[in-house]
Amino acid sequence: MTYPRHDLFDDVAVRLDSVSLRYDTSEDILSDIDLVLKPGSFSFLTGASGAGKTSLLKLLYLALKPSRGEVSLFGRPTSNLTRDQLSSLRRRVGVVFQEFRLLEHLSAYENVALPLRVLGRRESDYRADVEELLAWVGLGQRLHAKPPTLSGGEQQRVAIARAVVTQPDILIADEPTGNVDPDMGTRLMRLFLELNKRRGTTVIIATHDLGLVRQVEAPVYRLSNRLLVQDVEFGGETARRRTDPGLEG
Amino acid sequence: MAKETPLLPVEDVREAALFFVVGALCFLAALAALSAKSTYGAAKSWTAEVQGELTVSLPDVDRRGADEAREVIEQTQGVRTARVLSKEEIDALLEPNFGSRGLPDSLPLPQLIAVEADPAVPDMGPTLARNLAEAGIASAVDEHADWAGDVRRVLGVARLTALIAVALLASTAVAVIAFATHAALLARRDIVDVLHLAGARDRFIAGLFERRFWVLGLRAGAVGALMALGAAALMIFTVQVHGSRAGLLPELSLDFLDLVILVVTPVIAGFAARFAARMTVIRALKGMM
Repeated sequence: MTYPRHDLFDDVAVRLDSVSLRYDTSEDILSDIDLVLKPGSFSFLTGASGAGKTSLLKLLYLALKPSRGEVSLFGRPTSNLTRDQLSSLRRRVGVVFQEFRLLEHLSAYENVALPLRVLGRRESDYRADVEELLAWVGLGQRLHAKPPTLSGGEQQRVAIARAVVTQPDILIADEPTGNVDPDMGTRLMRLFLELNKRRGTTVIIATHDLGLVRQVEAPVYRLSNRLLVQDVEFGGETARRRTDPGLEG
Repeated sequence: MAKETPLLPVEDVREAALFFVVGALCFLAALAALSAKSTYGAAKSWTAEVQGELTVSLPDVDRRGADEAREVIEQTQGVRTARVLSKEEIDALLEPNFGSRGLPDSLPLPQLIAVEADPAVPDMGPTLARNLAEAGIASAVDEHADWAGDVRRVLGVARLTALIAVALLASTAVAVIAFATHAALLARRDIVDVLHLAGARDRFIAGLFERRFWVLGLRAGAVGALMALGAAALMIFTVQVHGSRAGLLPELSLDFLDLVILVVTPVIAGFAARFAARMTVIRALKGMM
């Protein structure tokens, strides 16, 4: 089984240049955001509720077009790509949605295998991988359970397994530990770190959980007042720091 | 593991309603197509029968004069047969108007000559009238092809109407399925979103809906075609049992072409459903990034 790898000449996994976002005619949700995530980097995204974390992540996983500016993945500006080219990029991005977005008529196993079905893989080829992954997130006995019968934490683990099953080049997770106990949160964080270290997966995690942030020495970006700043408390070196007088001090 | 679960869940009441609507449309479309074909066949048959047939009416002659006229007619180039109708035959022709008791002898009736001519010879009617006039015989020549042309034109309009009905019914089916696909798309937006963000190409997602509606179109079309077959068979049976006195009704039957129409109906319904679903989904996906 082959998995997508970074393009040879990719020097950045994600790049946002002066990106702004607004819905309809409302004010900007995000304003003039610059961000660079290098391949293999591990970052956190924090901010108060409603600060625009999910919107920013949607830009990163190509669910939304920016109102202004450019989003580039793997060195490719996305604004002029064809729909098939965008689909190809999305296949290299794993997403853990805040609301899980599991398909209720499919079992846990089938939900996890969904991206592999999209890729056209044969069930006999991926069966063992999917079962192993589900066992790893503690759901080895719940392969055939449908999402409505799973607890919130179990659904979250299925969602995480689905996001990582293709071993994506970028993993974007929106509050991935919000519904699990601290032990499982630590374990899932270890999964993300393993993906990051072993495969060089670029990981960005949006979270409120500062305890989780403190477990990993990684750059922290904070959304506040529509702007993205690098949080000096946690440090890091991959992002361009954005200064805003209103946020300093 | 067991067989893979379809990515689109098995549908609900809405799909049953759609099945009914598409089935009914296919029933009507198949009947309209059968009518168009039957009308065409009837027109062809009627016009073929009357081509080259003429009736010569002789108002002022007796039987001997009629025989003289027949000889003149028979000598005209292109005439195959000419026959003076007997009094009984004329009575039979007028029976629908005057009843079965016959006509009083005192009622003056013209002598009639039934003529069969080569349809390829042009202007047979005027030629006969001219020859008879030159022989000093007053006559009125009725060329059956003249009124057959009127019948053909009327049947042509009927056939065109039936074909328009088929086209309208097919368009309606496509529109209904497009509407249903759009509704299904909205209802399954969660699935479409997840597939889209997992990197599924538009044709992959459209294919899920295409397959769903292809099967629905085939099944509903088959039911509609079977119902049309039943209706046609009932009509034929009724005409055969009670139609012996309804001489104007065309002879009805189901031939190979009719069966082709019935077999093709569900296939067309399936393709139309597939096409409508594809167009609807692709257009909707274009609205997503």
